[in-house]
Amino acid sequence: MKPPVKRKRTFQRRKVCVFCADSAMKIDYKDVKTLNHFVTERGKILPRRISGNCAKHQRDITQAIKKARNIALMAFSVVSS
Amino acid sequence: MRRYETIFIANPDLPEEEQNALQEKVRSLLASFNGEIVKMEDWGLKKLGYAIRKSSRGRYFLLDYLTESPALVRELERTLRLNDGVLKFITVKTSAQVTKDQIQALKAASQAEKTIRVEERPSAPEPTPVPVPPEVEKPEAGEEAK
Repeated sequence: MKPPVKRKRTFQRRKVCVFCADSAMKIDYKDVKTLNHFVTERGKILPRRISGNCAKHQRDITQAIKKARNIALMAFSVVSS
Repeated sequence: MRRYETIFIANPDLPEEEQNALQEKVRSLLASFNGEIVKMEDWGLKKLGYAIRKSSRGRYFLLDYLTESPALVRELERTLRLNDGVLKFITVKTSAQVTKDQIQALKAASQAEKTIRVEERPSAPEPTPVPVPPEVEKPEAGEEAK
């Protein structure tokens, strides 16, 4: 489906969106445990190409993370020493 | 009816009575506007994601309620904003249209919850375990290396 990439990169199977695969999973900004899977150690939101989410769920995740950050459930940035 | 959810963080340095007074104040405000509380949770002291007003901890309260009038939300937010004991708050509309049946169901659920004293969330009977996508973790190493 994707044109072959020129970059030197090991081929990775196209990931399936976890939320599409399991419809019981809900995206909730209060559920920090789940959201933490979709941010880096520094607190940045993982891009779709890495998380493998579909566009819809990536959008929901992004919104949820931003809400969680607003109410200080998550950090905007984690400063490592 | 609309369903809203407000989380507010009380300053933990405040004496216990004042935090409880805040809770009472919110309750009475809802009552005066004919708002219906679905649930009010006290998450206790939690570490904040970042310092708010130099405080790195906060006592979280979750208020889940139904109301007909947006005026209630406005008034509630105004009250929280003016209260010095509140570090931060957020209001989220969880449902724009709640029917009578749903209200009944909610009430039944909250009643059941009170009697059996189960955990939060009446809508989701069991907290869903999170299957971690195995690939998600890996690329982070590369990310950090940048």
